[in-house]
Order: sequence, then C-alpha cells, then structure tokens
Amino acid sequence: MLDRIARDRVATLFIVTVLVLLAVGAAAPGFLSVRTAGIIWSNGLVLMLVALGIFPVILTRNIDVSGGSVLGLSAVTLGLTLNQGLPLPLASAAALGTGLLAGALSGLLVAVLRVPSIVATLGTLGLFRGVMLIATGGEWIEDLPEDLKALGAKSFAGLSVMGMVTAGAILAVWLFLRSRRGGWVFVTGDNRAAAHHLGLPVKRIEFLVFVWGGAMYALAGIAFAAQIGFVPNQAGSGIELRAIAALVLGGISLLGGVGTVAGVVIGVIFFTSIDTSLVFLRIPAYWNDLIGGAMLLAVLLIDGRLRIALEARDRAARYRRSGHRISSTRDLEDAA
Amino acid sequence: MNRHLMRWEVLLLLILMAELAIFGMMNPRFLRPSSLLFGTSDFVQVGIVAVPLTLVIIAGGIDVSFASTVGLAAIAFGIANFFGLPLPLSLAVGLATGAAAGLLNATIIRLTRLQPLVVTLGSLYMFSGAATVLSGVVGASGYEGIGGFPEAFTALGYAQVLGLPMPLVVFLVFAAVLLVLLHLTRFGRLVFQIGQNAEAARHSGMPVFRVQLVTYVLTGLAAALAGLMLSAYFGSARVDLGSATLLPAITAAVLGGASIYGGQGSVLGTIIATFIIGYLQQGLQMSGVPSQISSALSGALLVLVVALRYGAELLRDFIPVRLRRAD
Amino acid sequence: MDKLLAELRSVSKSYAAVRVLKGVHFSVRAGEIHALLGGNGAGKSTLMKILAGLVAPSGGEVRLGGEPLVPATPAQAQAMGLYLVPQEAHIFPNQTVLQNIAVGMPKPAGAYRARVQALIAQLGVSLSPDAKAATLEIADRQIVEILRGLLREAKVLILDEPTSALTPHEVRTLFGHMRALRAQGHGLVFISHKLHELRAVADRITVLRDGHVVFAEAMETSPDAEILAAMSPGVTALDARERMREIEGAPVLALERLSGEGFVEISLSLRPGEILGLTGVVGAGRTELAETLVGLRTPSGGRVTLGGRDFRARGPADAMRAGLVHLSEDRQQYGLFLEAPLYWNVSALVHGTLPFFLRPGRERRRFEQYRAQLGIRCEEADQPVGRLSGGNQQKVLLAKCLAAAPKVLILDEPTRGVDVGARNDIYRIVEDLAEQGTAVLLISSDFDEVRRLADRIAVMAGGHLAGELPAGASTDEIAELAFEAGEAAHA
Repeated sequence: MLDRIARDRVATLFIVTVLVLLAVGAAAPGFLSVRTAGIIWSNGLVLMLVALGIFPVILTRNIDVSGGSVLGLSAVTLGLTLNQGLPLPLASAAALGTGLLAGALSGLLVAVLRVPSIVATLGTLGLFRGVMLIATGGEWIEDLPEDLKALGAKSFAGLSVMGMVTAGAILAVWLFLRSRRGGWVFVTGDNRAAAHHLGLPVKRIEFLVFVWGGAMYALAGIAFAAQIGFVPNQAGSGIELRAIAALVLGGISLLGGVGTVAGVVIGVIFFTSIDTSLVFLRIPAYWNDLIGGAMLLAVLLIDGRLRIALEARDRAARYRRSGHRISSTRDLEDAA
Repeated sequence: MNRHLMRWEVLLLLILMAELAIFGMMNPRFLRPSSLLFGTSDFVQVGIVAVPLTLVIIAGGIDVSFASTVGLAAIAFGIANFFGLPLPLSLAVGLATGAAAGLLNATIIRLTRLQPLVVTLGSLYMFSGAATVLSGVVGASGYEGIGGFPEAFTALGYAQVLGLPMPLVVFLVFAAVLLVLLHLTRFGRLVFQIGQNAEAARHSGMPVFRVQLVTYVLTGLAAALAGLMLSAYFGSARVDLGSATLLPAITAAVLGGASIYGGQGSVLGTIIATFIIGYLQQGLQMSGVPSQISSALSGALLVLVVALRYGAELLRDFIPVRLRRAD
Repeated sequence: MDKLLAELRSVSKSYAAVRVLKGVHFSVRAGEIHALLGGNGAGKSTLMKILAGLVAPSGGEVRLGGEPLVPATPAQAQAMGLYLVPQEAHIFPNQTVLQNIAVGMPKPAGAYRARVQALIAQLGVSLSPDAKAATLEIADRQIVEILRGLLREAKVLILDEPTSALTPHEVRTLFGHMRALRAQGHGLVFISHKLHELRAVADRITVLRDGHVVFAEAMETSPDAEILAAMSPGVTALDARERMREIEGAPVLALERLSGEGFVEISLSLRPGEILGLTGVVGAGRTELAETLVGLRTPSGGRVTLGGRDFRARGPADAMRAGLVHLSEDRQQYGLFLEAPLYWNVSALVHGTLPFFLRPGRERRRFEQYRAQLGIRCEEADQPVGRLSGGNQQKVLLAKCLAAAPKVLILDEPTRGVDVGARNDIYRIVEDLAEQGTAVLLISSDFDEVRRLADRIAVMAGGHLAGELPAGASTDEIAELAFEAGEAAHA
C-alpha cells in the first residue's frame, strides 16, 4: 500500500481528486456534471499550458520562474498588435515569437553562461514584467477584437480552440518524451555529467527546453487574453509558482529526471478542481491560497516522509539480503 | 575566497558611487542629504529581509516565503492590536508570528528533506492565504488593511534617531548585528561550512539542522520586523505589504555575492546591493522615469550582474585551475 | 594482428603553466591489451582523455587508424570507435539499465534490447535490462559502462581502474571478457595500480612518471621489480613492519558482537598505542562499522566499551568528546571543506571549543604548528584546501582529526589517491601517533599498507570478521581470508 502511494503518484492523486470531487458533489448538489468538468478544464487551461512549459525545464533539473512574466509580455504583444489592426494569426505569431525570444534569453543565461536557473529566471521575471509595463505604459489593454475572444469560447464538442490547442500540446509533449531525443531531456536532468560523457548535446538540450517553455507561456498568454477579453498589467503574475506547485503535486521531481505528462495533467486538474469546488461550496475566494498552500505542504510532508520510510526499508532490506547471503554461506561451510 | 569577496564588495561600492553620480548629474536634487536619507524609508525593508536571507543562502538553503511572512506578521500584529492588547504585547505577537513561520519552514524542510525552494514556495502561498483569511476575521478589506493603531506606534514610522530616519536605523543596526554574527563568530563559521559541504559538516559533528533552523527563524523575524515597520509607516497592516520585496531581496543577496549553491556570500555585499537597488529605483523615479521601468531595470541589473559573474567564471574555466583534477 | 589502431606521437599537454604531459609516445594495436601504470599526478588520466578525444593536446599528434584525430565532442569520439570507461561509472539512476546503455546511440533504446541482452549473456553477468539503475550495486554499474563501450563497438576501449570496486570473481569474469575482446581484434588500454592484475591480462606495459614515459616493454619480459623501480625510483616494494612492538595494557576500545548495517557480530579490541589493521575487499562492511562507532549509523546489536565504560555515540561530536575520531575514506565528500581556508578545516572538528567571537590569529598559529609537524606544503593558512594536491589535502584532514587529540583514531583508507612521497609521510605520522599512545584502527584495502603499519591484522569479508592475523602475516594469508570468505558470500 505504502509502495503504491509513494511509487504511483499519478494514480493516488487521481483517486484523491475523484474523492474530493465526490465529497464536494455530496455537499453541493448539481456539482457533479459534465458542465463542471468543462468549467474545470477551461479554468485550468492557462495553468496547464504554463505547467507544460515548465515541465521539461524541471526534467533537466533546472527551474523557470519567469513563466508568468512571459505570459504577460506575450499577452501584451498580442493585445497591442491586435489593437494596431494586425489580423489575429499575425498577432498570435508575434505573441509566440515574443515567448520564443524570452525563452531563448533565459536559456542563453542558463545553458551558455551557466547562471543557476533560479537566479537567471528571477532576473528575467523582473525584466520581462518591466518591459511589459513599459510597452503598455501601465495601462490595461481593453477592447480586444471578438475573433480573439472566440478562441476562448466553446466551438467544437464543448472545447474551445485554445482547449484543443492545449490538448494538442499535452499530446505533443507525451509523444516527444517517448522519442529518443525526448529521453535526452530526462537523462540530462538525471546526471548531466554522464549525459555529456555519452556525447549528448546537453547545452543545446537545456537551451531548447527554455525556448519550449517560452513558447508554452506565450500560448498561455493567448489563452488568457482570449478567455478574459482584456489584458491587465498584472496578467500571469504568480502563476509560475502555482504551476510549479501543481507539478510537484503531480510527482515531478525538482531534482530532475523524474516525471510524467499524466502527472502534469492530474496535478493541474487537482489544483483547479479545488479552486472550482470552493466556488461551488460558496467559500470566499480568499481561502484559496490558504487551502492550496496547506494542501501542497501536506502533500509534500506526507510524500517526503513516505519516501524516507521507503528508502530506509530498502536500505535495511539490502543489508539484510547481504547478511542473509553471508549466513547461508556459513551454513554451507558448516555442512561441508 | 575572502579576498575575492572583498574585491566584489569594493566593486559594488564603486557601482553605487557611479550610480549616485549619474543620478546627481541628471538631477542635483537627488544628492541632497535629506532626499538621500529619507528616501531610504521606501526600500530599507528589502534590506532587512535580504540580510538574513543571505545567511539562509550561504547555509545552502533558500527562502521565498518571507514575502508573505511580512504581511502575515503585520496582520497578526494588527489583530492583536484590534483586540486591545497593549502595544508591546501586540509587537511581540507580530514578531513571534514571523519566528514561527521560519520555524515551520525549517521543520518541514528537515522532515521531508525536500528542496527548500519547494517547501517555502508552498508556505509562500499558505502564509499569504492565512493572512488574507485572518484579515477577513476582523472584517478588514484587502486594500485598506487593518488600521487604528495607537499614535505611539505610527509615530515610530516617522521618528528620527540622531537625525536619521527610524527605518534606516533599524536596518543598519539589524544588519550590523548580523554582519558581526556571520563574519566574526563561531555561528557564522558554521553557516559557511554547512553551506560549503553539509555532509562534511555532519561528519564533523556540526549541528547542521540547528544552524539552518536559526537562519530561517532569523529570516522570519526580519520579515516580521519589516512588516511592523511598514505598518507603522503606512498606518495600516496589509496582506500584500511584503509582496514587492521578493524579487529585490533575492536580487540584493545574489548581487551582494551570495552563491545560490551555498557556502559563499557577505552581509556587507548585501547591504551595499540593497542601496544600489533602492537608489536605482528612486533615482529613476526622480528623473521622471515611470516606476514600471525601474522594476524592469532592476531585473535587467540582476541578469546583467549574474551573467557577468558566471560568464567570468566560465572564462576562468578555459584556463583551468583544475590541475588537481588532472589526475 | 599488428595493425595500429591509435597512436600518440610526442604528445604534450599543459594546464596554465604546469606541464602535465611532456612528449609522450603511446600506441594501441588491434588485438592487444596495453597496460598503463603510473602514480598519482603522473598524467595517466590526461593521456587517456587525449586518446579518447575528449581533450586536445598542447603539442604532438594523435592518429586514429592512420588518420589524424581532431579532438572533438565525446559523441564524435565515440562514433570514431573510442570509448573511455571511467573509474566511477556514469549512471542515470532513474532510468532502466537498457536506457542507460543505449543513451546517445542513434536509435531509441528499444532497438538495442536484443543486442544488449546478447552482450549481457556473453559477459555472463546477471543483469536485467529493465531494472532501474538506482538499484544497481557498484560492480553492476561498472558492467553497464563496459556494455556501453561494447554496444558502441568501440575499436579502442579504455578501462580506467575498472577493478577497484569488483570482487575477485567479478574481476576474473571481466578479464575473461577482455581477452575475448582482444581475440576479436579490439585494442584495450587497461589502467590499474595492481601489478598482479596487469600481469594476468596485459600484453604490453607502459609506465608514466611526471608526464614522461619511463618504461615501455612487453609484459612477459618485464619483472615486477623493474616496473616498480620505473614507477617510483628509490622506493622498492613496501616492506612489512620493521619492528615488532609489545603492546600492553587494558583495551581502550572493545567491540563485543557488534552488529549493524552491513556487518554482523564483530568483536575486536584495541589497546593504547596499538595499530590494528582492519582489511578486506570493498563492500566488506568496514566503513559501515567505522561510521557506526562514531554514531553516524545505528547499531542493531552488541556492545562497545570505550575506556572501560559502555559507549554509544549519538553522533560524531559526541564520539569526539569521548576521544573517538573517524577520518573518512572520502575526503572530498565527507572530510574537507574544499572552498574554506586551511585553518578553518583544521578547526572543523573542534568547532565546539572555539570562542563565540572567533580568534583567527590563534587558529592560524595552530595550523602553522600542524603544517610544520605534518609537512603540509601550501602557501598560507588562508588558502582554500581544494587548491592543494591529494597528499597535502589528506594531511590537512589528518590535522583536523589530530586537533581533537583523540584517544582512538579510526583511519579509513588514509592514503587513497595519495602519491608515494606523501604516503610515506602519512605512515610516519601514524607511527608517531601510536608511539605517543594513540590507539589507531587502520581500515585499508591495501594489504601492503596494513602489513607495513599494523601490529595486528583483522580481516573482514562480507560483513563478518573472517579472522585475525599477527603482524608478520603475508599478503597471501590476508588475501586468503579476505577473498575466500568474500567470494563465498558473493557466489
């Protein structure tokens, strides 16, 4: 049982999520419906995209806390170019390009200049937020065109365009991580020196995961603008921390090399479900952070203690095994 | 190592002087002693948390939760005051809240052996969530916060000691105590050595957990101190009082010479870096640059400085000092 | 079968102002095992990195299959048929064995499953391709590295001390496989400190000293004495202890049927002024025993008496106060603070006795005393210890232990990675200590070292005490106890 909980985090978290939803359903009739599922999915879109961006970065044993700022900067690029009269596809491309460039800058600092990623991305976090504010002059961007908002509205089979893009991104990450080059991402995080020794282009891998992150944050920015229809100047602020929390919850190790796409998805859905449930239970929104934070700490605490207990047990077993091996040979000697 | 750091601090001092000179040329009012002195009240809270944070980082940890602890401690103080506790007791409640936050962080890190970043990220949420919920208890709204403080308290925010503004005095005294603690005492030695090699420290019988615990508790206490000071200065305790200190405080510690990998850093460096960052924002504002740009520039400053520092180390690697690894 | 696979012609290499290699000739032919021998700092590792295409030489020429080798990335070097099996295996703990082996190959791991399984069968090891690498023991990790080289069909396979973590049985299996590779026309370079191992498989031997080739002959025609003389002139094979000493008095440390992680029912006793050698192969449980004594691990049974009283350390600080100090086998990981000044390191164990407000002047003076006493070669007390050579680092670590004035000193592999000169210094220091009444528990895998220093020799194998021998015991006698029991345990 302990083994299962500790070793199969995804399944455990899935069960916990289901239990939480059932409990909320019991307390608030009408909660358990397809509609709620749709709400959770669309509420979680932006967080999901940001989490998908950070995920490969964390797999390489780095971290990126600039996600929220890149999201804001891309959303602003999108809004400003749209309001300049650029058509939506071009404006989206501009937003995506902004994300790629932003990711490339972080990647350059980490992969080439070897700045610790937490320091580098804290710097770019401030830098991008500032650039965004300069671009908008501190004003909110409003009156975004309808075709942008249409991206966030349901259009096909209950999914919005951005919802489908997100599903596509999940699939893409899953497929990529199964490929040979996808394996390199895990391996780089598991043991960077060894990966280098075996001839993997570790610097390029590190650089590219940051660029990928930038692209995902840009998509998140587009989804964000499409969903709420305007761009406030604190857009995306703090979402990177929520995404990292969701990833940790989903069993992605900040020590690199361990994690699954299923873990990302379930971690994000769990976080979003809690928020959505609170709304249904009519608990004021200001409880969100307390409950979310306490839950994260509780999961970390239980998970950490379980892991330590398992390690101790494995270690004891290993020594017992060698001890057993010794005594069995003793027996043979005695018999001889 | 010490010599290398000394060079770094001298360089920081030169940067600070150059910065002041440039702003002085752009706007002579900037260099008036009164604006130099009283402008510090807007940023010394960054330094107050950055200095103990430097100790945490040197000992191999990191703490991001202090940004919420500032607000949480202020709210705790506000509530104690709201329920009619005498001022000294209310202040003690605020400080104790900060210390308890540090204690909680260190304990969870110890129990889970997880990366401190993850744990304090969780408590960053929880503390700000707790502060929000608590301020809801007394019916205070987010923007106004909890007010109604006694005159004696709010006066502290604007009091002067020997002609210096109170917040600056608090910062300098607190920083001086930690400077002595880190660089001249046995405790400070342990902080460095635990950060350099925690395993060797354990094998040498050093009290690794106790030392790290103290660094986190000091950070919590400092955050509470900053929260109380800001409450006095603004006349109300708000949840988000400290949220703007997160990035600048880490920037100050790293700019001041603290290595994110532990084992290196200096209180003096952090102090100078605090002034560099603070005056940068102030100077830009006085020169008519909107405050948004100044925040971009402090981000850019961090990126530039660390890029230079690590870039220089990279260059040194090409002329390897690693002879001992040659065989 | 005399084709030259790789050749180094008057290769030299300098780091900063220091010349590590000074005009070295070296070659690997198809179908031979070429042994490379040399002390620490002789330039072996640098030479092998140049041959493996990882490091560019400062002068001279490297040719691979007749073509000049332009040093390149590890990937390109591996594609050209060079593979360096490092001393410590590079492992991805969270990946499977198969993934570990196939990383960096042109196809996904799954494509190599059959080939890897065939290679595992050929090698005759029991290793599951789907096991998680974190669960592998050290020997199996070494096998993974060798499999990597084989899967890459390396023409030139460089093995950097591959046997240091293997049991004798595993060593023999490895040698069998090396011979098979030789028969298939591979060229192998085999680095080891153990002459008898080199003799068992090598065809040629090259000895490196101070960046020069000082000896290069066929293995068969080179007597041990000549090789040793070339490696370290003036030092012949280390003799057994010169003088027998009579040690009297009550034991200061006694273990009665002590059990714990990795060792079972060990009974030992140690008198003041005595050096007790505790030897055996890697994994015999000696380090675990030492760490248990100073309270870093919890014992599961038995008792310890120190100075006649029951003793159980709550941790190294507690043990130190009781007069028991442990010098760890891994000085860089567990012993020293590499970035810290020398005098900080010397004060590290006695940190509790320092005044709250530090007096660095006093500490520097104490360091200077040890510097003179132990012959530490350095510039000044404020220098980071990481800048010193291995031997001098070890002396600083000794100074750290001595500063605690221990009654019982546990030395765990005190001369690992230390060159011959410093090694003799350390032996002298240990003897002086014992002369002054310190009881020394000397843990070492180096049988000659134990014979050189110890008054009595205890042998551990597979976690048990295999037996105790008097000072005059021969290497063969020790080996018999260490290997026979150890091998039975691993069979």
